[in-house]
Amino acid sequence: MYEIPLITADNFITYALNGLSRGMIIFLVASGLSLIFGLIGLINFAHGAMLALGGYGTYIVIQATGNFWLGLVISVVLVTVLGFVLERKVLYWLYDEPLLGFLGTFGLGLVIEEALAVYFGSRSYTIQSPLSESIQVLGVTYPSYRLFVILVGAVVALGIGLLLTRTRLGLEIHATANGQPTAEILGVDTARIYTLTFVLGTALAALAGALTAPITSMYPTIGLDYITMAFLVIIVGGMGSFKGSFVVSMIVGQIIAFGWLLTAPTYVRILIFAAAMVFILYQPRGFFGKPEVHE
Amino acid sequence: MSDTLTNVRELAQGTTRRPLFAVGALLLLAVPILAPSQSDLATEALIFGLFAISVDIVLGYAGLLTLAPAAFFGLGAYSVAKVVVDYGQSFWLGFPVAIVLALILAFIVGYVPIKRRIGDVYFVLFTLAFGAIAYDFTFVTTSVTGGSDGLGFFGPPEVLGIDLGGSLPYYYFTLLTVAVFGFGLYVLIKSDYGDVLHATRQNELRMRYLGYDTNRELMIAWLVSAAISALAGAVYVGSVGIASPSLISFALTGDVIIWIIVGGTGTLLGPFAAAIGLVFMQELLQSVWLEGYRLLLGILFVVFVFALPDGLMGLIRGEE
Repeated sequence: MYEIPLITADNFITYALNGLSRGMIIFLVASGLSLIFGLIGLINFAHGAMLALGGYGTYIVIQATGNFWLGLVISVVLVTVLGFVLERKVLYWLYDEPLLGFLGTFGLGLVIEEALAVYFGSRSYTIQSPLSESIQVLGVTYPSYRLFVILVGAVVALGIGLLLTRTRLGLEIHATANGQPTAEILGVDTARIYTLTFVLGTALAALAGALTAPITSMYPTIGLDYITMAFLVIIVGGMGSFKGSFVVSMIVGQIIAFGWLLTAPTYVRILIFAAAMVFILYQPRGFFGKPEVHE
Repeated sequence: MSDTLTNVRELAQGTTRRPLFAVGALLLLAVPILAPSQSDLATEALIFGLFAISVDIVLGYAGLLTLAPAAFFGLGAYSVAKVVVDYGQSFWLGFPVAIVLALILAFIVGYVPIKRRIGDVYFVLFTLAFGAIAYDFTFVTTSVTGGSDGLGFFGPPEVLGIDLGGSLPYYYFTLLTVAVFGFGLYVLIKSDYGDVLHATRQNELRMRYLGYDTNRELMIAWLVSAAISALAGAVYVGSVGIASPSLISFALTGDVIIWIIVGGTGTLLGPFAAAIGLVFMQELLQSVWLEGYRLLLGILFVVFVFALPDGLMGLIRGEE
């Protein structure tokens, strides 16, 4: 019959760390989406394709040079530039039309994913982990690469958190989110803020793609799986709330890690999606959302 | 605009429009005679045409962008396969079962979001979550849905001595179904109800002041759409012989959205024609460049969203 999984002190820490590293990847995707969604009101469906580009870009550079770190940097930079061009040349005029914004980014994402499928084929690719050894943490042996992912996620979270709360740019982002016309009057170049936010969000997606490539296999539509989860995370966390997307990403990471112990991964996904549906209906601002944020 | 385009517009607008419809209808009737080897493909194209119309009712007329139409299409397909294979009942019983189940599911899923008037953006995400759950559901209920293998199906029965399992008879059965329900939707949209729906999109507040229960109008559109989507799925499973998770997948939802945008939202005929045209184009292109079709489809879609947001019908009608 049903076997009750054993949670001991040792594997508890392993699972918690697994949840943490998974949560960090979700957070990188979700925080970018949340920034773009919260500020611009754009359902950026191309976000997942940016993640896929980050992963495949890393793969290409590794094939050429054999260096993961070089691949990570180059692919994130290139995807960021692509995000900049897209925002400046294509997307800016979809901002006032939520449905057109969705359709436009959906189409762009489709083109990118299908281009990847044409070039690489639809089979999946794996990248050798650059840090293959394991180290001792909190009494357990744990893969060092996953610890690296946790570290990067934490640093990014702290960095963006400080950027949003401690700098003039963060203030301008808040001002733009709270009321674009008012911000304009106060001398904020809101078009520039939109561009910066979009580019920052895209860079985070590409970083998530590059970081996740050695953990999971890459396939052209990988981004779709991530953004579905990320969209629901930012709903529960509160649209446009940076703190919300961090906290909920961490919770979801742990739910996935420990949920897989108890039941099939699909059940865990269904549970998370169902929770998000309830939130959309009854608590659309999520845990941390503010009423003045774009809706 | 070029002269050719103007000519095409005049053709589509003027008195020549009716003969054009007649030619189209004759073509559809003659497909199995002109190209017998293509009748299975034509059947699929017709079904997807009806599916596109049913989704256009919600997207184009009610203005609700749903990311879960495939859930209802798949529900229809699974219902028929389940009724016939697992319960040994008649093929024909599958259709009312599919429609009733779709209506129940659509009511459960749609009631609260429509009543609470969640915004466009939230509705998109709500249906995204629902579509993802519907897809995942087939994998956790293996005993009911067959998991990733899906439910096999032994083919439609004989009617009046004609074996519907054959490509040709099933094509005409599909054509009849699509014609009846497509025309039914056309009548519905051209009726007072269609006007009310249209007015609601234009100015919902005023319609409420005038005493219309706009939530009810949206709900009717949502339910009709779900029922017809399920019907299309039910007809589909009789043609392909298997109900598989791909029928519930986001890929199919994406395809429907592409057909509608390319054809022209809120036109019925546009999405119908675009679905048929693109299914045939897929077959044509796949023999030349197998992987490239979806890339070209994506590029086509982007061109339409950015340059021709009114779709093919908008292009034909010109400024209105």
